[in-house]
Amino acid sequence: MSASPATRKRSIDAEAQPPRLLGSLSRWIALCLIVVVTIVFFSVATEDWFTIVNFTLIAAIASLGLNILSGYAGQVSLGMAFFMSIGAYTAAVLGGTPPTTPLDPLGLGLSFLIWLPASGIVAALVGALVGPTALRLKGFYLGIVTLALVFIGNYIFMNARGVSGGPQGRTFPVPAIGDFSFDQQNTILGITLTSGQQFFLLILPVLVLSALFAGNVMRSRAGRAFKAVRDNEVGATVMGVNLFETKMGAFILSSFLAGIAGALFASFSRYVIPNYWSLALSIEFVAAIIVGGIASIWGSILGAAFVFGLPLVIDQFSLLPVGSSSGGLSSGDLNALIYGVLIIAFLLFEPGGVIGLARRGQALLRKRNSHGGEGGEAAEITDLPSSAGTYVDMENPAVTKGEET
Amino acid sequence: MSDATEQHTKPAPLLSVEDISVRFAGIKALTDVSFQVLPGELFAVIGPNGAGKTSLFNVLSRVYQPVAGRVTFDGHDLLLLKAHQAVRIGISRTFQNPGQFPTSTIMDYMLLGRHTRMRSGILAGGLYLGMTRNEEKKNRAYCLHLLDLLGLKHLSNHTLGSLPYGLQKRADLARALALEPKLLLLDEPVAGMNLEESEDIASVILDIKEQLGVTQILVEHDMAVVMGIADRILVLDFGRVIAQGVPAEIQANPDVIKAYLGEEFESGAVYSSETMPIPIDDSQ
Amino acid sequence: MAYFIQLVFAGIALGCIYALIGLGFTIIFKASEVINFAQGSLLLVGAYIVSAGVYEWHLPFLLALLLGIIITSCIGLLFERFALRRMIGRPVFSILMITIGLDIVLRTLVIARWGSNPIPAATPFQFTSGFTIGGVHFGADELWTIIVTVLVCAALYYFFRFTKYGLAMRATAIDQEAALAMGINIRTVYALAWGISAAIATVGGIFLAINVVAIDPTLGNIALFAFPAIILGGIDSVSGAVVGGIIIGLAVVVTAGYESHFANILGAGFHEIAPYLLMILVLLIRPYGIFGTRKVERI
Repeated sequence: MSASPATRKRSIDAEAQPPRLLGSLSRWIALCLIVVVTIVFFSVATEDWFTIVNFTLIAAIASLGLNILSGYAGQVSLGMAFFMSIGAYTAAVLGGTPPTTPLDPLGLGLSFLIWLPASGIVAALVGALVGPTALRLKGFYLGIVTLALVFIGNYIFMNARGVSGGPQGRTFPVPAIGDFSFDQQNTILGITLTSGQQFFLLILPVLVLSALFAGNVMRSRAGRAFKAVRDNEVGATVMGVNLFETKMGAFILSSFLAGIAGALFASFSRYVIPNYWSLALSIEFVAAIIVGGIASIWGSILGAAFVFGLPLVIDQFSLLPVGSSSGGLSSGDLNALIYGVLIIAFLLFEPGGVIGLARRGQALLRKRNSHGGEGGEAAEITDLPSSAGTYVDMENPAVTKGEET
Repeated sequence: MSDATEQHTKPAPLLSVEDISVRFAGIKALTDVSFQVLPGELFAVIGPNGAGKTSLFNVLSRVYQPVAGRVTFDGHDLLLLKAHQAVRIGISRTFQNPGQFPTSTIMDYMLLGRHTRMRSGILAGGLYLGMTRNEEKKNRAYCLHLLDLLGLKHLSNHTLGSLPYGLQKRADLARALALEPKLLLLDEPVAGMNLEESEDIASVILDIKEQLGVTQILVEHDMAVVMGIADRILVLDFGRVIAQGVPAEIQANPDVIKAYLGEEFESGAVYSSETMPIPIDDSQ
Repeated sequence: MAYFIQLVFAGIALGCIYALIGLGFTIIFKASEVINFAQGSLLLVGAYIVSAGVYEWHLPFLLALLLGIIITSCIGLLFERFALRRMIGRPVFSILMITIGLDIVLRTLVIARWGSNPIPAATPFQFTSGFTIGGVHFGADELWTIIVTVLVCAALYYFFRFTKYGLAMRATAIDQEAALAMGINIRTVYALAWGISAAIATVGGIFLAINVVAIDPTLGNIALFAFPAIILGGIDSVSGAVVGGIIIGLAVVVTAGYESHFANILGAGFHEIAPYLLMILVLLIRPYGIFGTRKVERI
């Protein structure tokens, strides 16, 4: 060998840096662009646009949750709407205006600093209760049980007037700092912020923090365990992955995000009826992660933009001709048709979603530029390195056991 | 309990399998199988198709629960443990078909091998605390070293699925080693390889034994490899043990010859490793 | 007491509908291990075509029924041929989702053509036909539902037991590779499975339509109850589909019949979740359903 084991070790250690979030110049540039676009948007957009973007960002938080559970950990779930409703009604009970008549729904009037995190925590606890079923049931069975949750949740909330306001629904609390309530225009430190802007300033950081957290999980030990369980459960256990911990963790994290998203959605909409948390809503989230990209952080966000944001944009600008009453689709139905077709198309041709398409494009470009180093060429194995006995002692990395060359 | 106390010349066995029987779906996969593996030994399990070799591995890696019998590993009652717990006490296994995780990069696959040696959970990982950061760095370095030893370092960013079969098997072996196991279960490590590749892997296996002192159990069909490197061999047929011993004994054993070749060859002719016929390949 | 018997009868009839829908589902699953979430909307399309056939195109009922069966079978066959074939080997999640995609597309296409408002269901029966014994009315439509279900089950039994293609399908369900090795044309088997399944779904859909008198695009949602039925029975068991269907049908109708008595505890709509609660209960004890078989894990 040309290099001594010690030198080889040093050079290998240098290579051993885990991939960094902002590792390359292109990523820094992208980040700056995003920041600039965000600032510009914040300054010039109209209230209507804020509504669209805020809904999309909230949907992105929930999509992220679903992607963690189904995309990364491979657990089939049609129960997103259920967990969102748990979060929403937790927020309502903790933060809603205290009832003035016996017919009013419950509310403790607490601050959003309490009800927002609580919505996630309570949803996570419910997720922890559901999690163990994923250990007994897999695939289709799990999917139908999560579907059952949506219907059972509907039944509970339709009947629990005190919590949900019954079939006609209830108002949900709005975040407030002191006297400044987010549902009105407020002037803070001389700057006037509209309601949409205030919500934006709350929702965006929640999404960014969630995305960073999720991304970190996926590039660490727990995330690798998720993916192993998705790809082959039994194989994963044989490599040492604790199925119970992993699946529970996925359910808890995913439901936490769903709860937060549900609370934010209800708060932003101000008034929601229990029927809103339907199977169709759950399916929309599954469509979002398929279209955007399974097991991808950006894919969750893009997918939410497509499935939730685009119809709002279309409605906003009346891009669609209005249908006749006997035949013809509402914009909601047309949107459903489009993402139904897209689900089929993406699953057949590009299971990686839009992100997958982007990656393929990137790879194609890179291939043109580089010398075509396609993975898979059989390495030239002339001989194993003669320092085959060198064994790194993890407790004491400076010492190598075994023979030296 | 076991006979270990009587063996004052040999060390206590690392693995002691007593009378295990496995049944499922009306099939008797294993019946009354007993054997012991000594520390540092290279122990091979051979047998015709359907003999129960993979079932045996599945019991040891805790995928199957036998209906009878006892297994003791390193002082632990193995049958009380689940698969991931068995990994924690040092049992590592390669896959017969290494393509189980095709979208994983080699490095991520290796890090999965290190799963039980690392500690970050979801919270620590999500916040990417110092502990997580250090853990990632140290373990990546370790995995790169291991890959380097096996000549795979340059492929660490390639996905498992993009590699040819031989390299997948090699990467799987690296992943199983990354655990720093006490017992390594090798499931047909040279299946589907040509002579050169088989010799490479065989020499890696010997290195693991001689340089690292890891105990290994090998299930294999390639007789040249088995006879060439194994210390002792167990022969299974229809779920039962039909012979145990050193390679020379096994090759001369008439029951073994009958199991592989049928009645006509029972006359007891001695076969050397060069003339031992190649058994029919699995169509599993 | 008469009330209870009335409910039981209605429950069995509804259960037969779920049994038919579930049977269609189980046949596809046994043949190709595919979970067809679109069973509900295939049924919806069938029901709409039959209604359109009778009321828009003025066809006799049986001809409209035949048309419905043919069209839904074709949709199933085309979907299998051009979409599902490409999904072989993909994870369950993906296959489940692609059938959900089909479900969405079919439902919205129905809305596009016929709108969201209810249209009358085609029925060959008079509303008041049937007979009454001891205060219990046995409606003709319900009687026919039960009779047809029994006939379908008998026909399927005969088909699977005694005909060449039936045996081929059973062989494929047990072990595809072995079936291939024996010279069975897997493609034909798949196509047959989808064709038969769609046909049975349509028949079930017709009876469901007759049951609800007016159909709208949410008909597929009622078909959703077929899922707890088959899961409770075991998704790979034909008898499970039938038993599960009947249990669910009884559960829905009997709970609906008595829930007004418990309104202060249970509130409204309990019968809509009774099937799911039953399903969860059964799954806790037997994760593969009453008659389902446990897969042996191997690596």
